[in-house]
Amino acid sequence: MAKLKVFSDEWCNAWADKIRESKEFPIHNKGWEGDIGCCISKDPKANLPEDKYLYVNFFDGKVLDVRMADKETAENTKFVISGEYIRWKQVARGELDAVKAMMQGKLKLKGNLPYVVKYVKGVQETIKCLVALDSEFPDD
Amino acid sequence: MGGNHNRFLEIDLSARSTAVTSIDPALFSAFIGGSTLAARLFLDTLDVKRDPLSPDSSLFIMTGPLTGTSFPGSSRFVMCARSPLTGIWGESASGGTFGAELKRAGFDGVIIRGKSTHPCVITVEDQNAAIVDAGDLWGKDTYETIDILRKRGGEERPARVLAIGPAGEHLVKFANVCNDKAHYIGRTGMGAVLGSKRIKAITCRGTGTVPVASEENFRNVRKAALEEIKNSLMSRTFHELGTAAAMELGMTTGDVPIKNWSVGVDYAMGLALGGTAVAEKMLKKRVACYACPIACKPVVVVDDPKYGIAEGPGPEYETLGSFGTMIMNDNIYAVARVNDLCNRLGVETITGGATIAFIMEMYEKGLLTRDDLDGLDMTWGNIDAAIVLVKKIAYREGFGDRAAEGSRALARSIGGEALDCVVEVKGLEPPMHDPRGFHGMGLAYMNSNRGACHLQHSDQAIEMGMVSWNEVGLKDDYPGPVSEGKAEMVYIGENIGQMANSVCVCHFVHWCMGLTNLLDGLNAVTGYGFSLDDFMEAGKRSWVLKRAINNLFGVTAKDDRLPKRILTPLAEGAAEGIIPDMKLMKREYYRIRGLNDEGFPKPELLDSLGLGFIKERLYG
Repeated sequence: MAKLKVFSDEWCNAWADKIRESKEFPIHNKGWEGDIGCCISKDPKANLPEDKYLYVNFFDGKVLDVRMADKETAENTKFVISGEYIRWKQVARGELDAVKAMMQGKLKLKGNLPYVVKYVKGVQETIKCLVALDSEFPDD
Repeated sequence: MGGNHNRFLEIDLSARSTAVTSIDPALFSAFIGGSTLAARLFLDTLDVKRDPLSPDSSLFIMTGPLTGTSFPGSSRFVMCARSPLTGIWGESASGGTFGAELKRAGFDGVIIRGKSTHPCVITVEDQNAAIVDAGDLWGKDTYETIDILRKRGGEERPARVLAIGPAGEHLVKFANVCNDKAHYIGRTGMGAVLGSKRIKAITCRGTGTVPVASEENFRNVRKAALEEIKNSLMSRTFHELGTAAAMELGMTTGDVPIKNWSVGVDYAMGLALGGTAVAEKMLKKRVACYACPIACKPVVVVDDPKYGIAEGPGPEYETLGSFGTMIMNDNIYAVARVNDLCNRLGVETITGGATIAFIMEMYEKGLLTRDDLDGLDMTWGNIDAAIVLVKKIAYREGFGDRAAEGSRALARSIGGEALDCVVEVKGLEPPMHDPRGFHGMGLAYMNSNRGACHLQHSDQAIEMGMVSWNEVGLKDDYPGPVSEGKAEMVYIGENIGQMANSVCVCHFVHWCMGLTNLLDGLNAVTGYGFSLDDFMEAGKRSWVLKRAINNLFGVTAKDDRLPKRILTPLAEGAAEGIIPDMKLMKREYYRIRGLNDEGFPKPELLDSLGLGFIKERLYG
């Protein structure tokens, strides 16, 4: 099976499907309300000439939406996480823990921190699903 | 000389005398301050045969070069003595305002020897000190004592107060010292040392300043450090959720000990006892120590018919673990209640909770019976029985007298299987961080000079990925449940942590501001002009000095070990089935640190660090 091109619709859908398949996600996301915007800074040297924006929305253990979006949409979500492409790539490959990345300032979080901490296991499960995808990155 | 007055208040309680002394100025740049300078001065009069609670034992209350300046996190000071709990080097630091006040009173430290014939209070005020009778305070709890002494000051600006409670008076081996009803000098039993000298409290008021070598450099570094802290998510986490955030986060990484270190994960309990639960259910406000831009300390009110408490310090992560997950109690109000009780009675909550968790396991296994326990039903989760036992410990009543010796002594008195269930290193119960989730923490527990500890080094921040200090050779990411490569990480983390404890800066603030800002701050205040290598070398000197003291107390390689329980795999959680490779890490660490097979610093290492004068005592 062909690899999924990162930032494509297929890649977004595959991630959403993976989360839906997870038995852990509905347990640890139960009660969650809120959308998340992921802002990925451009990196022309890594074959990423433009900034990318990803929109993710969960509600009470269910996946409502995972799609590419525009800047305005991503930046007007309940939680905004932004950072360099290389950091996002490390997270998506399981090479960098997302919580550690935020603590070390490699990814920036805007939004209600206590809420994220309360649902940290759910957050980690979504990343686990992302890492499980057979992804092809722009600079691969 | 910036950062120090070179003035120490020496008190001989037996002679009821006070004196002001100074030391060779070169000792400041070599041993910096805080617990390291205390260790260097302690060595001069060390008699290994002396009991920690004997009148001749020395107690040091020390500040560091940054204490009392306006540098972020510079509230810290430390109490040091031979620990009555462990029998080896003891030190315990605290924040608040007392340290800054002592420095502003014109003293870098207070050295106390002897024993008062009557209960007393030591009062320190602007370069003067007095020993005052305090028989009327003996028997009172810490909060009452502090309230009375602050009122007695009778001025607009009340004195800062350190006080012991009944536990210190009764020489409970893990008695703490209450610092202004908000902070605690907890670990290693410094409250018992004060009690043995019949010191109920120490008050301090200072209006002077701390000399700074370069005001301009200091202003610039301070500004940079504050900016770094402001931009740090860790800083935000500490402010919004306090240390209790480690509960939710730790459940996902295998960090939280459960049921006397026998269960790997319990997410529901993590949510019931975590930072968000504290914030939602009881938090009134957060307060800051002196010169702290973060403000992580929770002030809580519990409105509960059974466990209600008035406004006061809320439980930190360690207490939520020790009186929560460790004893299988998921009632956060009850944790706040027992925390308040320990604060008032002067009982340290890590050893206190860990000892009670051990007792619950002994009860479950039939190794302690209800008869042994004065009729208490020490079933897992029975917080009401735990509350009763805390009181018995503080007054050494009935079974409380045995428990007041700490878990190691209790396990030895029970014998047999108890020795496999007790969790301690060199006599000190570990804090609430499971080495099976973070193997480097295990090695750091093994090596720590005050027994199992998470603040004698910076490994927690490094291994959990809260910081990334490439400038000293550390990697960005260290997987937790892995032993390979951890020896060097721990070695570097220890050297950094020792410097934080010498300089006397809060570890949390230090993690948020970074390493370079701390070094620059030290240089701006002292004028030492240290390079990063000099800084690390001084940290190395600190660790080796304390290790040599412990060697004189009888510590050898066989004491650098993890308890059997920690070397037993967990059946669930992030560290499922994995245990630290103690032998591998120890072998690598000894090579890197320069210890011989007996666990002594090699003579050439002592020479290279300017500690050659200890060789004869160590090697004869």
